[in-house]
Amino acid sequence: MVRIEDLTKTYLIGEVRVEALRGVSLSIAKGDFVAVVGSSGSGKSTLMHILGCLDRPTSGKFYFAGRDVSELSADDQALIRNEQIGFVFQSFNLLPRTPAVENVELPLLYTKQRLSRAERRSRAVAALEQVGLSDRADHQPNQLSGGQQQRVAIARALMNEPDILLADEPTGNLDSRTSVDIMETFQALNAERGITIVIITHERVIAEYASRVIELADGQILSDSSRQTAEVPMS
Amino acid sequence: MTEPVALEIAVQALRRYPLRTALALVGLAIGVGAVLVTIALGTGAQSAIRDQVRAAGLNVILVKAGNYRTKGEGGGDPVAPHGFLHDLRELIAPTAHAHPENDPMEKHDHPTAAERLGDSEAGLGGAATLTQEDADAIARIPGVANVASGVHENIKIFAGDQRWFTRLHGTDVDLPLVRRAHTLVTGRFFNERELDRAERVAVLGSVVRQKLFGDDVDPVGEEVTLWSQTFRVIGVTASTNWMTPGSPGDDEFDAVYVPFTTIHAMLNVTNLNTITVTTESSGAVTEVRSAISDVLRQRHAIPDTAPDDFTVSTQATEILAKGLHPNVARVLVGNLPNLEKVTLQELSTTLERAGRTMKALLAAIAAVSLVVGGIGITNIMLLSVTERTREIGLRMSVGARGKDVSAQFFVEALTLALTGGIVGVVLGVAVSAILTAAFGWSTEVSFGAIVAAFAVAVAIGVVSGFLPARRAAALNPIDALRYE
Repeated sequence: MVRIEDLTKTYLIGEVRVEALRGVSLSIAKGDFVAVVGSSGSGKSTLMHILGCLDRPTSGKFYFAGRDVSELSADDQALIRNEQIGFVFQSFNLLPRTPAVENVELPLLYTKQRLSRAERRSRAVAALEQVGLSDRADHQPNQLSGGQQQRVAIARALMNEPDILLADEPTGNLDSRTSVDIMETFQALNAERGITIVIITHERVIAEYASRVIELADGQILSDSSRQTAEVPMS
Repeated sequence: MTEPVALEIAVQALRRYPLRTALALVGLAIGVGAVLVTIALGTGAQSAIRDQVRAAGLNVILVKAGNYRTKGEGGGDPVAPHGFLHDLRELIAPTAHAHPENDPMEKHDHPTAAERLGDSEAGLGGAATLTQEDADAIARIPGVANVASGVHENIKIFAGDQRWFTRLHGTDVDLPLVRRAHTLVTGRFFNERELDRAERVAVLGSVVRQKLFGDDVDPVGEEVTLWSQTFRVIGVTASTNWMTPGSPGDDEFDAVYVPFTTIHAMLNVTNLNTITVTTESSGAVTEVRSAISDVLRQRHAIPDTAPDDFTVSTQATEILAKGLHPNVARVLVGNLPNLEKVTLQELSTTLERAGRTMKALLAAIAAVSLVVGGIGITNIMLLSVTERTREIGLRMSVGARGKDVSAQFFVEALTLALTGGIVGVVLGVAVSAILTAAFGWSTEVSFGAIVAAFAVAVAIGVVSGFLPARRAAALNPIDALRYE
């Protein structure tokens, strides 16, 4: 599904060179549920942005579904983000002052085949139903709780039936009870629909839900451990 | 993504921030409106000046019966006693003296005709040499625009228990075309039928209307009495120019206009006192003037050696002779045969130069207004794009391409700019109209000004809304998403 080889990323902040990733190689198979853990500054967010085609590596190879991403144009990368990748952000990143249903519709506006307004709406409503928010479709983000906002974001990420779901600290802004809800949702998506999931977290408890945990430190992989059974206590 | 979707997204985005959208719209509208009003006021002032000059008669030639010239163009001769005219003058003189305005016992609260016009027009110099046929012949001269025959008398006009001494003009239906500075505030001017049938209809000057009826009564349909005969009032004429309203004693608005045929019928005469001629262009005045002389001399069978039995004057001679003692004026005008030529050219040149200065001033003011308006628009647009860089990042993270984002912001900016521009044009036109209606300021909203103000505002709006968005769309999605 995803394979990276000797990936580096160097930022230039003013005069200072920051090496966020220093030669990372790994591959993620279809259907994996991966947690990337590490302290802040370990490079885990940078890694995810590159995996999500939101950022470009400084050097190294990145193959997405067999294609070398560094050779793809910006428009092709946009198409990959649209069709194959779903994002869930720590800060939800919903459009303010916009009803939940319109937020969920967003990826449908940029699909290759243009969908009618009615079709977009019905698909968005169906997606909200799946995350249990059909009665909040017309609420704006500031009228929703954190957990509800994150579920809207998940519905949005699932809109175009992606192959891989990338979640950057999806529970970082949520209380522990809501975090459990969200993690169970991810788990179900992975188990029932076979969606590859990569989540970034610094909380061990959250990483427990994954079947594979990759630990990063100072831009390098510290450990990569797979659990034989992905059966995690259902709280 | 095709344009209809871009439009949908754009409208959705604009609705999301009603206050910001409203502010941008108001800014644009006020910018465009202010420019339009500025230009309208300036152009209006320019036109007012031009109208005033035209009303003063740069292209008007006045043909009067009789000749007061003491020294002909040939020079040398003292007072030319041309028999026919000389005799007639003496014949008419006693009648003129009997005019009620010249009665020493009568009280006047305004200047008498003799005071304001000089003797030659007050009845003393009026020679019966001009006829309607002369006027018809002048009308056929190339370059002549309008011809209005005139018979002038000083009269007492009554309406109820009000009375007023004023000037009576028997004239032609073309007079409104000759007198550009006149406007009918109520009613109408008399028509061909009334002229042909010598009907007793009268158009009052604004001063006469005010003296007889006051400003609040519409005198149309009322009756007035002239020479013990009843006339029906059909209209009131007033100055179009707010800078020069009518005043008692002037010859245009302290006056009554009736068909000249009516005066002919009532007084049983056929002669005209004046023929007022306008030329198609002010440059043709000198040419037309000499053509009129030729035509009239030929029609009146005046031998080459004899002086004219009429006077052709242009505005230049009028201006020069104004305020001078009649005798001095006669000598002066008589000895400067080419006077109007020089003066007219100079006047035209001065006028043209003044017009150019005015235009330059206007252009400068308009340019400054547009720049100020443009900066306002740019500010709001830039602010909006900066605030919305995160939105751009988010849209890109779910698959929007750079061109999708550009299309959205382009359509947004265009929608805003077009709407604001249209509102601004409506606003500008409305405010100009209100200024004219409420304060009487002359305004003139030209089509060119509308197009220019609209185009510049829309261009600034689109460019300032679109360019920063395009730059944001070129960022890596994560950089746009993290933008603060």
